[in-house]
Amino acid sequence: MAAAATCGTGAGNKGCTAAAAAAAGKNNVTSFQRKGPRASVPDSGCARLVSIAGTRPSVRNGQLLVSTGLPALDQLLGGGLAVGTVLLIEEDKYNIYSSLLFKYFLAEGVINGHTLLVASAKEDPADILQELPAPLLDDNCKKDFDEDVCNPKTPESNIKMKIAWRYQLLPKMEPGPVSSSRFGHYYDLSKRMPQELIEASKWHGFFFPEKLSPTLNIEPCSLTHGYIKLLQFIQNVIYEEGFDGSNPQKKQKNILRIGIQNLGSPLWGDDICCTENCDNSHSLTKFLYVLRGLLRTSLSACIITMPTHLIQNKAIIARVTNLSDTVVGLESFIGSERETNPLYKDYHGLIHIRQIPRLNNLIYDVSDVKDLAFKLKRKLFTIERLHLPPDLSDTVSRSSKQIPAASSRLLGPDCGVMAGGRKHLDF
Amino acid sequence: MESVWGVGGLVLLRDSVEWEGRSLLKAFVKKSALCGEQVHILGCEVSEDEFREGFDSSINSRLVYHDLFRDPFNWSQAGGALPGGPLGALRALCKRTEPGPVTIALDSLSWLLLHLPCTTLCQALCALSQQHSPLGGSPPVEPVRVLGLLHMELHGPGPMGALSSLAQTEVTLSGTAGQALAHILCQRPRQHPTHQTQCFSILPDFSLDLQEGPTLESQPHPDPHIPPVEPTTHLTFNLHLSKKEREAKDSLTLPFQFSSEKQQALLRPGPSQATSNIFYEPDVYDDLDQEDPDDDLDV
Repeated sequence: MAAAATCGTGAGNKGCTAAAAAAAGKNNVTSFQRKGPRASVPDSGCARLVSIAGTRPSVRNGQLLVSTGLPALDQLLGGGLAVGTVLLIEEDKYNIYSSLLFKYFLAEGVINGHTLLVASAKEDPADILQELPAPLLDDNCKKDFDEDVCNPKTPESNIKMKIAWRYQLLPKMEPGPVSSSRFGHYYDLSKRMPQELIEASKWHGFFFPEKLSPTLNIEPCSLTHGYIKLLQFIQNVIYEEGFDGSNPQKKQKNILRIGIQNLGSPLWGDDICCTENCDNSHSLTKFLYVLRGLLRTSLSACIITMPTHLIQNKAIIARVTNLSDTVVGLESFIGSERETNPLYKDYHGLIHIRQIPRLNNLIYDVSDVKDLAFKLKRKLFTIERLHLPPDLSDTVSRSSKQIPAASSRLLGPDCGVMAGGRKHLDF
Repeated sequence: MESVWGVGGLVLLRDSVEWEGRSLLKAFVKKSALCGEQVHILGCEVSEDEFREGFDSSINSRLVYHDLFRDPFNWSQAGGALPGGPLGALRALCKRTEPGPVTIALDSLSWLLLHLPCTTLCQALCALSQQHSPLGGSPPVEPVRVLGLLHMELHGPGPMGALSSLAQTEVTLSGTAGQALAHILCQRPRQHPTHQTQCFSILPDFSLDLQEGPTLESQPHPDPHIPPVEPTTHLTFNLHLSKKEREAKDSLTLPFQFSSEKQQALLRPGPSQATSNIFYEPDVYDDLDQEDPDDDLDV
């Protein structure tokens, strides 16, 4: 990204001039010399950048990627989350699964040794960090995986295979996660992250009610007070820790993982969830714009969870989607009619990949699978392709279909009587 | 109703014109006063006398009443009015320091929503319901229960959604044919929300009478005129095997299975396999001339 390029060229210039001066004094044939012992890099994508733990270059366009903490989600996003971009998670209704994804992201940062910045208006960041899931390591992972896989197995599959007997020799499951040199890790939701790992990690917390002074005189400004404070805090951390290359980092370069929880909720002081015609409706969009500028010029990646189901003005959701890079929407089945629908009984909700960025690219990296569902097993969060069985009911005949199409149910009441009627449109 | 009592935090009592909730609020207030908790009441909609009516003197002596009804804007400059208006009163409630479990009843949240900006009210409610002692370490959180009476018809979906997302428990009052029903949606922080329905009635002395009335299923039944479909009924092939058929299938030797009998049969040179013969029957069109057809080509 831009950060890598500027750091690279800056260092290269200094190196070249120093080498040229040294060479002139040595009476060598050429004044161009190698800079010196260069750290070995994994591939040619980022030639001058020393490889940072927990990152890898994308195989498609050479972007530096970090893992989101969930290898299934990494695969859907094209290998991972690009450094310098924003991952926006549209929360499900009761904020159960989106907080899981948030924790996976932070846990991945702890395992890889990245610096964390956690911002929340509802929970203390220290409490959030205490509840991170424990990583699944080599020795007990295979046991856990087999336990999860074997449970739904039917008895017939335990018989020795008669026709395809050669497949019995194949191992049942890929061996799970390995040490921290791997890109994505698996986590065990039933256990907490060990305290020593959390204490060894470096993190900054921003808890908005603490920063809120009781007698604040709000200046008429386009950004709400909470957002201004958060942006200043992020900017300070980036500048002081040198993630944007401003202070020469003596130690090895690292990634800053920023996590912002419940952005846009009334607890941040923003009223887009409360009214449709709000006073400062551009506050959130301006925040995202400034945040993206901060991220693009530093080695950081950000995850934001937003309660978009509460936002009253739908135009704001569209603007927010455009201003974020990667947008993933979660829709849980709790409380909806789909909870009892036998078609969805294996899953807990749907996951929609709403947007994937085109970074230095002309084409998208979209997977061809559009119907994805997620399931929260006892220890793992899995994303699978949604398989709906064929509709074999008696009423699937052209002449007399009583069930209105699913799309007509989704139409609002102001879309005309015809579309919402009981009769199915017959083509 | 025990789920309402078990977890602290914000409890929203959503009532409507047909099914009013103030009597349920007073029943909860009476229950916590009888449990020995401290009870603070922020009264905005009805006067103090009207609120205290129906409670006996022991309960009345336990209630700490903050009156915003009589003089909400502090016009009379008398000493009885609360400083800072509604927001000041809420913040003062946040700052109380007595130990022990506390119940705070807000009568009503609708009045506060109409007089305060929604975001400020949400922030104040969050601060109120999540109180922990300012001392360091990991202190055991004193359970603070905030009961808020909310009139559903007065507010649009925006404020209702915002308050619902903050609340740990939501009790929606409805009813059928004279019987009051409470739909309780309980959302613990890390667990799935649970939903239950309870019939109840309030006795004249504001005690709560829970009844085992007709429990309505919270999930809709499948449509009766669409029978559940068995996909294997009209197939042209047979998916089920009888017992004899299954035994025959199990005992069948598959062609590519290299069993020991087949191995012996291949290894043992049988009499029929001594020579390899080709059996050919000439067709009508076959030319059986033994001469070489290329002889006359002069090649």
